[in-house]
Amino acid sequence: MSKKILIVEDDLFLQGLEATKLKKDGYDIMTAVNSDEVFKIVEGSSKPDLILLDLLLPGVDGFMILEKIRQNKDMLTVPVIVFSNLSEDKDVKRAQKLGISEFMVKSNFTLDELTKKIKDLIGA
Amino acid sequence: MQEEELKNLREENERLKQTIATKAEMVSINVHQIRTLLSAIKWIIKMFLDGDLGKLTAEQEGLLRKAYEGNERMLGTASEMLLINKTENVVERPYVFVGVNVSDIIENSIFDFSGEAKIKSVEIIFLKPQAGLPQVRADQEKLRIVFQNLLENAVKYSNNNSKIFISAKIIENFLEVSVKDSGIGIVDGGKEKIFEKFYRGENAQKKEAVGSGIGLFTTRKIVEGHGGKIWFESVENEGTTFFFTIPIWEGK
Repeated sequence: MSKKILIVEDDLFLQGLEATKLKKDGYDIMTAVNSDEVFKIVEGSSKPDLILLDLLLPGVDGFMILEKIRQNKDMLTVPVIVFSNLSEDKDVKRAQKLGISEFMVKSNFTLDELTKKIKDLIGA
Repeated sequence: MQEEELKNLREENERLKQTIATKAEMVSINVHQIRTLLSAIKWIIKMFLDGDLGKLTAEQEGLLRKAYEGNERMLGTASEMLLINKTENVVERPYVFVGVNVSDIIENSIFDFSGEAKIKSVEIIFLKPQAGLPQVRADQEKLRIVFQNLLENAVKYSNNNSKIFISAKIIENFLEVSVKDSGIGIVDGGKEKIFEKFYRGENAQKKEAVGSGIGLFTTRKIVEGHGGKIWFESVENEGTTFFFTIPIWEGK
């Protein structure tokens, strides 16, 4: 069975590109553009094997989503990759404190490098 | 009359400050947006180059590589613009001097550049004295910019597989800090101009196409704003060491 990835990204153009690439590499994709959609999925029956999380989101931001995800005991260990354009030390440290597997700055990586990282974490 | 003129000038000054702040905010939002879209273009071109969408002819691949490089340069420029914008915002604020732990700032700055350094296999080493360092009298955010600018340059202009050393020692009432790289060095003709706004050495431009030429200008401004001094020793193709002093905090 394919591994499931939840892409949390409010920019639909970027979300579409990320989803296309990851589907090509054989993953099942779920998407969310805001906190409500994230928790509908996370608290539902089909839980993701990995979450790709943008930080700058309308309303509740990525940090707050991450904090809440970690409070759900089923989601304590699910790998989270932050994929954002924020790149300052304080943002990285704040995300790391909340428990992430990787912090990747969008403009510094290609989607190929992203999928490699995902493969390392959860396999193909 | 004089008082009224003064009042008008003050009001005008406030209006200008407001305008500058609004513009800086606008630049930040727009450049972030530009950077996001440039990232998307980068991803798309890379997918083509990786053959995800079918095999390319040599000509198609050659041109797409050029597009990719051009896009990378635009991304560099966008990131530089964001940094300048943020730096100016911090530099223009009035100084607030407190007792600052320099070791923390140095360690945070090293962390900030660890990604870039790793790509070039450059090791950044902080020669922290065993006894620790005294607090300095500084504006924390501004002092952070000094370290960031000096480290950014050191990494940028270092050769691959080299080391950067940061050290500090007490000299009377000051802490003297040095950042030493073994990079391209500063060309002889550029030594007097290196702290001038927008100046970039010829060898620096060759090594790194993207750069604003305001880093060292800002750095000197901040160091002098603290009552310190900044200077350097440099040999072309061997490396550069920047030194600066900053007053030690005496509790006021």
